[in-house]
Amino acid sequence: MAFETQSQEPSFHKPPTRLSNTVTYNEQELVLLLKAKDQQSFSYLYDNYSGALYSIVLQVVADKELASDVLQEVFVNIWRKIESYDPDKGRLFTWMLNVARNLAIDMVRSKGYQNSQKNQSLPEGDYFDKTGSATQQSVDNIGLKKIVGKLKEEHRVLIDLAYFKGYTHEEIAKIESLPLGTVKTRIRNALIQLRDYIK
Amino acid sequence: MNIQEYISSGIVESYVLGLASNEERLEFEQVCATNAELRQAREAFEISLEQHALANAVPVPAELKQKIWNQINPGIEGATVVSIQADKKQQPLAPVRSISFSKLLAAASVILLVGSTLLNFYFYNQYKLSVAKLDELIASNQQMAISNTATQAKLQQYEIALNIIKDTNMAVVAMKGQPIAPQSATTVYWNKQTKDVYLLVNGLPQPAAGKQYQLWAIVDGVPVDAGMLNMNETNGLVKMKNIPKAQAFAITLENAGGSKTPTMPIYVVGKT
Repeated sequence: MAFETQSQEPSFHKPPTRLSNTVTYNEQELVLLLKAKDQQSFSYLYDNYSGALYSIVLQVVADKELASDVLQEVFVNIWRKIESYDPDKGRLFTWMLNVARNLAIDMVRSKGYQNSQKNQSLPEGDYFDKTGSATQQSVDNIGLKKIVGKLKEEHRVLIDLAYFKGYTHEEIAKIESLPLGTVKTRIRNALIQLRDYIK
Repeated sequence: MNIQEYISSGIVESYVLGLASNEERLEFEQVCATNAELRQAREAFEISLEQHALANAVPVPAELKQKIWNQINPGIEGATVVSIQADKKQQPLAPVRSISFSKLLAAASVILLVGSTLLNFYFYNQYKLSVAKLDELIASNQQMAISNTATQAKLQQYEIALNIIKDTNMAVVAMKGQPIAPQSATTVYWNKQTKDVYLLVNGLPQPAAGKQYQLWAIVDGVPVDAGMLNMNETNGLVKMKNIPKAQAFAITLENAGGSKTPTMPIYVVGKT
């Protein structure tokens, strides 16, 4: 973050004009404005990041309608909890990404969602199977999930459980009947590969 | 620990993606605070993650922005972030709901009106009854207040009389009926200290019109006027004139207003 702000003109002091759509903020001023509850900066944040965050949510909550509910909650949380964002611990997007992922996992683990999934699995027939698999395919094709798909099976399963389903390493060790050390090593290795894929 | 090894251990990715344990997280933040190389590695991964996510953005439903805005700013409609399409989905729904709701409302209103009218009649009658009863109560209350005042006044009068009689300086002169009215009797209470004279009428015939009883103090054989008796005030002790010295008291019936010396026979008399 530091080098990015240094490389830019100190444009913070001139107020961004509403008429122009080309207003840009560097991350530092965006954070400052958000913490000051500036509505325009929030609008900018939404316009620039809602799509990326929606994709994150969709990778956890496949249902588009539910995912859009979660995304709404994500932005409301960002607006209300921006105070708790600490730039020393990472970039703004990283923080938002984790807000989105956590809320999405919360949704999937909620009782309401679990019940709705049970109810949906009751009807049988071609119709449901086709649409179900179609949704699944499209979700597998977006964002990190697409890259995770390139991983070896033994890595892919663990990243899926850890990142997209939110299980702790200990829980995964139990689920997969693997030693905790093995789970940790495999996840670390998988993450290093992921890093190289998205570079 | 070798920082290069640490950086390439996967901790950076694990931390940024939120997969590190609490312990790992705290350790990472500690090292980051002092180690620029680690910070750069973290930022490099964060940026590539962000760019990857931006490149893989998925179109968001159009109405969502307005929904979020409404949730954040309830009450302020269409503030700065309005998108025009936002309301499209809700519009067809609104009239249907409002019709059924207004019908329901109308039905409820009619029921309420009928009920309220009936209640009005009932309550009006109750009200009229109550007002009549209240008037009665107020009247009887006033009556009681008046009689209470009278009673109080009488009681006060008796208390005063009792206190006069109780006085240890009081000499009591019983006056007996004379041949002209043998049934008559009066009593003089004569305070030896203050010389005040009070007359108690135990019984005297009603005087004829234009006539009035007069009390006399007999001082060394001479009758001295001790005051007129008003028959309207004979219920208690009647204060008469102050008499410093007397051997006896007597009452005669004189013309109204009294005489200088007794002109008529004595009705009652008593020695001090």
